[in-house]
This record gives sequence, structure tokens and C-alpha cells, in this order.
Amino acid sequence: MSDKAFLVDTTKCSGCRSCQVACKQWNENPGEKTEFFAGPELTNPKELSAITWNHVKFFPLDRSNPEKPSWTIMHKKCYHCETPNCLRVCPEKAISKVDGWVVIDQDKCIGCGACVNECIYKVPGVAAVDYSAAYVPNPGVRENKWYERIQKGKSHKCHACTRNERKVPACAFACPTGALTYDHRLRVIRTAQERLAAVKKDFPKASIYGLKEFDGLRVITILKDAPEKFGLPINPTPINITKVEEINNLYSFFSLFTFGLPFLKRTAYKVARSMTVGDRGLS
Amino acid sequence: MTNHWIDIKNSDVIFIIGSNCAENHPISFRWIMKAKEERGAKIISVDPRFTKTSSLSDVYAPIRPGTDIAFLGGIVNYALQKDLINKEYVKEYTNMTYLIKPGYGFNNGLFSGYNAGEKKYDGATWQYQVDEKGVPKKDPTMKDPNCVLQIMKKHYERYTLEKVEAITGCPKDAFVKVCEVFCSTHKPDRVANFMYAMGITQHTVGTQNVRLMAILQLLMGNMGLAGGGINALRGESNVQGSTDHGLLWHLVPGYMPVPQAAANPTYEDYIKKLFAPTNDPMSINWKKEYPKYWVSLMKAFYGENAKKENNYCYDWFPKAVRPAPHIILFEDMYEGKIKGTFFWGTNPVVGGPNANKEAKALEKLDWLVAVDLWETDSSIFWKRPGIDPKQIKTEVFLLPAASSVEKEGSVSNSGRWAQWRYKAVNPPGEAKADLDIMDMIFRAVRELYKKDGGAFPDPIVKSLWNFTHEGEHEPDPHMVAKEINGYDVKTKKQINAFFDLKDDGSTACGNWIYCGSYTGKNMMARRGTSDPGKMGMFPEWTWCWPVNRRIIYNRAAVNRKGEPWDPSREIIKWNGSEWKGDVVDGGPKFGPDKKNPFIMNTEGVGRLFAPSGCVDGPLPEHYEPMETPTTNLMSAQKLNPAVKVLASDMNKWGDAGRYPFIATSYRVVEHWQAGAMTRNLPWLTELVPDMFCEISPSLAAAKGIKNGDKVRIQSARGEIGAYALVTDRVQPLKINGKPTEMVGMIWHFGHGCAETGDSCNQLTPAIGDPNVMIPEYKAFLVDIRKA
Repeated sequence: MSDKAFLVDTTKCSGCRSCQVACKQWNENPGEKTEFFAGPELTNPKELSAITWNHVKFFPLDRSNPEKPSWTIMHKKCYHCETPNCLRVCPEKAISKVDGWVVIDQDKCIGCGACVNECIYKVPGVAAVDYSAAYVPNPGVRENKWYERIQKGKSHKCHACTRNERKVPACAFACPTGALTYDHRLRVIRTAQERLAAVKKDFPKASIYGLKEFDGLRVITILKDAPEKFGLPINPTPINITKVEEINNLYSFFSLFTFGLPFLKRTAYKVARSMTVGDRGLS
Repeated sequence: MTNHWIDIKNSDVIFIIGSNCAENHPISFRWIMKAKEERGAKIISVDPRFTKTSSLSDVYAPIRPGTDIAFLGGIVNYALQKDLINKEYVKEYTNMTYLIKPGYGFNNGLFSGYNAGEKKYDGATWQYQVDEKGVPKKDPTMKDPNCVLQIMKKHYERYTLEKVEAITGCPKDAFVKVCEVFCSTHKPDRVANFMYAMGITQHTVGTQNVRLMAILQLLMGNMGLAGGGINALRGESNVQGSTDHGLLWHLVPGYMPVPQAAANPTYEDYIKKLFAPTNDPMSINWKKEYPKYWVSLMKAFYGENAKKENNYCYDWFPKAVRPAPHIILFEDMYEGKIKGTFFWGTNPVVGGPNANKEAKALEKLDWLVAVDLWETDSSIFWKRPGIDPKQIKTEVFLLPAASSVEKEGSVSNSGRWAQWRYKAVNPPGEAKADLDIMDMIFRAVRELYKKDGGAFPDPIVKSLWNFTHEGEHEPDPHMVAKEINGYDVKTKKQINAFFDLKDDGSTACGNWIYCGSYTGKNMMARRGTSDPGKMGMFPEWTWCWPVNRRIIYNRAAVNRKGEPWDPSREIIKWNGSEWKGDVVDGGPKFGPDKKNPFIMNTEGVGRLFAPSGCVDGPLPEHYEPMETPTTNLMSAQKLNPAVKVLASDMNKWGDAGRYPFIATSYRVVEHWQAGAMTRNLPWLTELVPDMFCEISPSLAAAKGIKNGDKVRIQSARGEIGAYALVTDRVQPLKINGKPTEMVGMIWHFGHGCAETGDSCNQLTPAIGDPNVMIPEYKAFLVDIRKA
């Protein structure tokens, strides 16, 4: 598994949202209560969250070329950065890399929200509601597997189906058009580059996202235009590791007085962060 | 489909009209993307809105709902004017050279033979000129003014670029681009495929819409070839199977006509009208076999009671006293003529046209039996908003049904593949498979007839009903499948193919087109994955009707010498003495030079001009929908002259003065049909939680509506609430010089289930196409305002 990656090809996406539904089905995550559409066009819910790990973003129709209007529909989930901000910032070291995938250990997570704040892609979410009681045991199906259940006050996000293990992650398996595929990372990159050359004919400004950001992402995206148009910053500045260490050192000291209670730990983290950087960001 | 899903990958041009298959048939895009990547196929999307399908297409052309004939007729004109047709194919395999009777004419929207009083055509003048042997006369030079080419040229030269633009609203440039790309397939080595769905069929000209696509495919020489054909994308997983087995009002199993009380009072009458004889030596005229299939069907229905002496129980078989399509059934129900009804997996309170009327009609029933997974909007019609349940006398029974994974049986897909499915889990509680429910009801009714007698007990008491093994209680789907396949009455041996069916009562067969599906073994359960020729035919994967022929009309895939039109797309060929490849149409005996390829009509060639088959004309002609914002620019006939309007106090019609906006309806990928299956699933309602409509930014601005606002939409028949999605994907179209706005609506919502909302069909009209009475859901008029 360790060298795998996803390829998101927005020039092939038909917006069926099978990926979004398959993720919820496989991981038994609850549906969100929505009204109308929360984002542009048919986007629903608005963003990724603790219970939505896999999301399809619909962008408004671009009619700048009247002969060929362009409608981008983009699959989004955790990009699984090579050097992730969330992993670096987590005061409890609850986030680690498992076979190259960025995974949160909910047993260690205190729900401080540091990962939520520092992820520039707005991926993880701390659950506001506890759903763990809602899971119905399904005898005979994956009964020997431990899998992630949504707990209140814990951070959750895509773990590339490493927790609820399967050969091909549920989202990629469900995709009917080949817009979302799963393969060895080097092969994904090669395919992306070949595909980019092919789609430039139709989309001259097409680009690939994820080759360099945070030392390389494990979700490579082919876009019809420049990444910024789709809310994906080019060469984002990684988090300032010195400041993170200062906060975490201070937090380690404070946490001696938190008696292992998550809410006190959360407060301790907030205080440590505020004393170190105030209102400013970490990057 | 004449072809099948995987075959889409063999197309060079994929013409998608009246279908948003990216949304409604997501898996089709696996093959479309393959065609695009591997063949460089061009995708054409013609749609009133810029849809998900349009977003993956190479050419997008907007179209006003209800103007497909103007659009496609314009392409016919383009092809004929520029001579972009496959000449050899057209001369050999279509009736382009045939001569039509001199009395044929077309004037100002009316074909010859019109009876205005009855709104009916007499097609006598639409027939071929015939020689002394009765064989149609031809003019190989195609210069005779009565030959089909000249008639077509004259008919379609009226469909100029200017007319097409003014009627459809499609800008000239986009239209010409579509013509160029599609007509590129007139070359033998390029093939286009038409993919269509309800956007084509749900119109008062629905049948002619389909015909016009067939005409274009014949002109290009695309019928019968891999990557070609006319491909109806069926909207439900087994709707192909249901129509195959006679669920439509005018057909019995295997697409034979329903006997009519007035027209076929006797067995001889019916048998005589099953097919028209021909003296043309080139014609296979397969329908001449129908009497064998009919007699075998009666043997399957009535067993040993069906004998030659009693005309195989013809008098027992129910006859239609008048057409009984959905619209008329509900009209009868509304008038109190129907006492009881079974709803078997149907939800007309959401899905029926003029749904308020359909709900009202249910109140007139004494009883309603609903067979479904759970309560649907229709089974609780008596709880709908604004209704006092105490005032409703209808007694409703809800029978819990097993879901698709809780029962065994066959499912036929759009490509005619009958695929055997197995039961994965037992149904919950008292839920039962449909087959079990049907069997229990039939047996109980039969007991009642046995006990109490009745007006006409024989057809029930003496029918052959043997689907349960000795000592068991529940019927076995394998026994049903075996009867559908057919067997020798004496030896009880399964029949291998419909070539062996007889009209002497020695064979029984529940559906001739499925003959061969369950021979010595269950062919539908096969899972072989070999693909000789690498054309995606997979002849050992399950079984497909007829006789496992993967592409229908495949005799047209080769020229008269038997060589494939395109060697790189070979599915079949004649080596001088025998056929190789796919199972050839019309039997293997005759070579391509001996018989014509289109075996299901009397002439054996594709009908560009149809002397019979359509009651509303031999050539497709543009007429406006029942409700339209404009006049008909093609003729003085506004509406299809053969359409009959039902006079009913709830059938009201709106005009553009009061209802200025065109409305159309469609589905989204997240919900299924009337929504009873999907509105209970939180993973899907998260994505599309509410009834919504789509409008352009200009209409939104004019009406003070913002994205996400609640709106009210009205037609002459009702008013509904919805959320407004304001999107650039909808744009006003310039119709006859005037910018015309559109309101697009989904129709998945109703008053029942977990997520509720209004049904778009409270607004749609109950008016049907004159051939098959499919309702005109796809083009009508509304007004909209902010709620």
C-alpha cells in the first residue's frame, strides 16, 4: 500500500457523486441534514466535515468560451500530504503516517482542533455529535475489523480506507467514468502527465495539482484551468515548525495539570498556542 | 437498444439527445469515455440545459423542449443537400429507391388521407407502387418524383438552417457543428450511435422523434453496425424485461399485438392480422412466424385445454375493447369506472401526468392493493396534504415486497441481456418476492372461482399454472423461466430456439423472444468472459434476446458481398457459404445477396418513408407541443393532427399569455424515479434534500428570485413549491425572434417518505402521443414567482 495514490481527473468527472455516497456507505458515516444546496450549483454539503470525508465540489459554469462552456466538478478529500501540517501541529501526536496515508488515532485525539486550523485544504473536522451508538453491528460483515466510528470531540477525516481495509478504496472503486482512480503513485503521476498533454487540446490552461505541494500529495488532480481557480493554492507555505515546537513544549508542561481530561487538555492547548503566537497563524 | 452498453465504446460519434445519461445512466459514461479516449470519439449533447452530460461532451447544442423533429429534420436536410449519405447502404438496405403511390401528398402540415372529424389518417396513399406480382416498384436512379428520396428531399428542404434556429432556439453555428460531426459518419468506416431517453419519447410526437433518429442512422449507414444503432436508455433496471413480457397495454409477451375485440373477434381474424404477407423474394418477413409464437404462447397459458378444435382457447384470451394506456386508465378511474387497482412498484401520485387528477382518481376506488417495499406517496394518497382521510372510502392494502437482493430471477438490461440474479438475503418480516405474492393471489382467486363459479371461470380455473415443485409451497423462479423459454409438449424437453416452435400445439412457449434463454441449462446464469474479436460482444456472458444476438439487424453490418462495411469493426461476415461472428439476423441459411437485412417488416429494408406503422404520418413532421409559447413555423397545424385530447374537467390547458415559460422535467442521479426508494436514504437526501427547479439568471433577475429562494410554480393544472437553483447552465433561447425562458424541474418528490416535497407532475399535462399514448411530460407551460 505504501506507494499508492489517487488520481482525480476532472475532465472525466460526470458529477454522479458515487464516490461521496460509497465513502459514507463503506465507512457507515451518517448523512448530513441539508437544505437545498449548500454550495455552488449542486454542491452538498458545503464542505468536508467530521462525517463527510469525501466530497464533490461543483463550480459555477464558465462561459468565457461561448462555444465550449466548461463546468468543473471536482472530487475532494484529504490530500494525504507527504509533510502534513496536521501531523506536525497535533500536540498529542495522534496523527501519523500509515503506509504513506495520513491517519488520525481517535484514542489519542483530544479534539483541540489544531489539525482543523492548520489544514489549508479544510479537510479534518471535529465531530460535534456522537454517532458511535448509532452503528448497527452487521454480523458476518467485517466483524473482525476495527473501524473508525464518529465520536464527539474527536477529529475525523479520510484514511484512504486503511481503517476499514479493502483492496481499492471505496470511492475509487465506485467511480464509473475513470475520473477517480487508484494506483502506484509513480504510475499515477505518469498517467497524469500523459493525460494533461491530451486534454490541453480541449483545455489549453489545464494543470496538474499535487506534485510538489507539501512535498507531494497522494491525491493528484488534473484540472481544466489553473489550480487557484478551484481554490487550490500553488506552493503553499508549510507550517512554521519552530513555532509549533514552542507551542507543543508549552502544552506538554501545561498538560501535566490536566488529569487526562480532554476538555482541560483542549484548554491547555489553546492557552499554549495563544501565549506563543497570539492570534497569528503558524505559517 | 439495437446494440448494447459495452458497444458504445465502438462509436466514433455519440449523439446524445433527450437524455442526460451522465446523470441517469452513469455507467454509460464508462463506455463513452472509453470511446473518447481510445477512438477519439466526439460526443454531441443536445439538451435544453447544459447538463452533466454536456459538460463531458465535445459539442453542445441547446434546444427548446418539444422541437426535436425540427432539429433532427434539419440534419436530414443538411445530409441530403450536401449528399452526406452512405449511398451504397441506402440503396441496398433502405426504401430510398422505392416508389410511393402518386396519390401521396403533404400540404401545410397534413399528409394525404386526413380525416379532420376523427383526427385520423387513412394511409392508403402512403403505400408503395407495386408490380403485377405485388412487389414494390423501385427507381434505382432515384429521379422519379414519387421515389422516397425525392419525397424526402421535398419534405425536409423546408427545414432550413433559419427555420431550425427560429423553432429550436439553437444558434446556427452550434447546429451546423452538430451536422458536421454527425454526418461525418456517412463514411463506411465511421459510425455514430444515438443515445436517447424520455426527453425524446415523452412528447405528442414521441414516436416520430424516435423514427427520425432511425432515419438519420439509415442515411448514414449506421444501423446494424458495432458502435451504431438506436439506443433507448431504459429508465429502470428491468423495464426492458417488463416490456419484453407484455406489460405495455397494446402488446402481449414478445411484442405481438393485443387482440382487439372489434378488429379481431375471431382467431382467424387475429392470426391474419399478425403479419402482412409479401411476394418479395428478397424479404424474410419474420413476422410470418408469429402464428407459431401465438399458438405456443396459448399452450403455455392454457396447457392441454388449448387445442386446435377450440382455436387454442382464443375465446378465453382477454380482448381490448379500446386503448387502455396509463392516461385512459386514470381517466376511467377518475370517472368511477374502475373498482379496484393493483399498484405493483408504481407511484403515480408522484409519477403520473396531471398527478393531482391521478390522486383524485384513487379516491373513487373501492380498493387499492399496493405492493411495495414500504409506504409510498401513492399508497398513502389518502393522507396527502389538504385531504381529510375520513372522507376517503378507498380501502388500501399494503403488501410488503422483497427487494431486488431478496429474491431470485432474471433482470433484462437496456442491451437486452437477460441476467440471472441470486437471492443474497431473506426478505425481512412478512415481505415476499413478487412471484410469491402473485402466485398466492392467483391461487386464492382460482379457489374462489372453483368454489363460487362466476361469470366466466374457465380461463382462470383451467389455465396452466404450475410453478411449484411437488410438496413445496412457494413457486420456483426457475420453473417460470423454463416455461418462458418453451418446451415440447409431449417430451417436456426444453426448446433450443424459436426456430423450433410450431403452430400445431406441439410446443409451449411463454415468450418467443426469450426462447433459448433456458435450454438444457440456464443460459442467463452464464458468466463466460471470452470476447472473440475484442468488440465487447461477450457472447457467453448471460444471454441476450433474440437467440443471443448481441447486435440487432446485424445483416446490415456487411455489404451485399458479405464484407463488413468497416473491417476494423467486424462483428459478422459471410465467407461465401456461411456466416461467422454474431448470431446472424433472419437465420443462417441465406447469404447477404439473397435476403434483405431488416427482417421485421414486409419489404426487408429500412423504412425512411413508413407506409405503415405510425398513425400520424409516413415521415416525421414538426408540430408544437400541446402547450407552446409560439406558433408552428412549419405549417398551419399547431398540434400533431392525430393527437386526441381527452375532454375531462381536470384536463386544463394553459396559454402563453397566462403561463409564459416553457417547463420541462427530468431526474437527478441521486434520486430514483418517483423517489420512494431514495427519499428514505440519508446518504442520498444529504445530496438532494428538496424539490428544486432550475432557472436562468435572467429569469431570476426579472422575477426577483435569488439562488436558494423558495418559489411557487403554476400551470393550468396546479401549483407547487420548490427551491430555485439559479444557474448559468440554463439560458433563455431565442424562439421565433423572441427570448424565451425555461423552468426545469426534477420530479422525484412527493408528500410521503422521509424527505417530502411537491411533485412536478402536479403541473404536467395528461395528453399522449397518438401511437403509444406516452404522456407529454417534457414540454408544457408554467408561470413562476418568488414564494
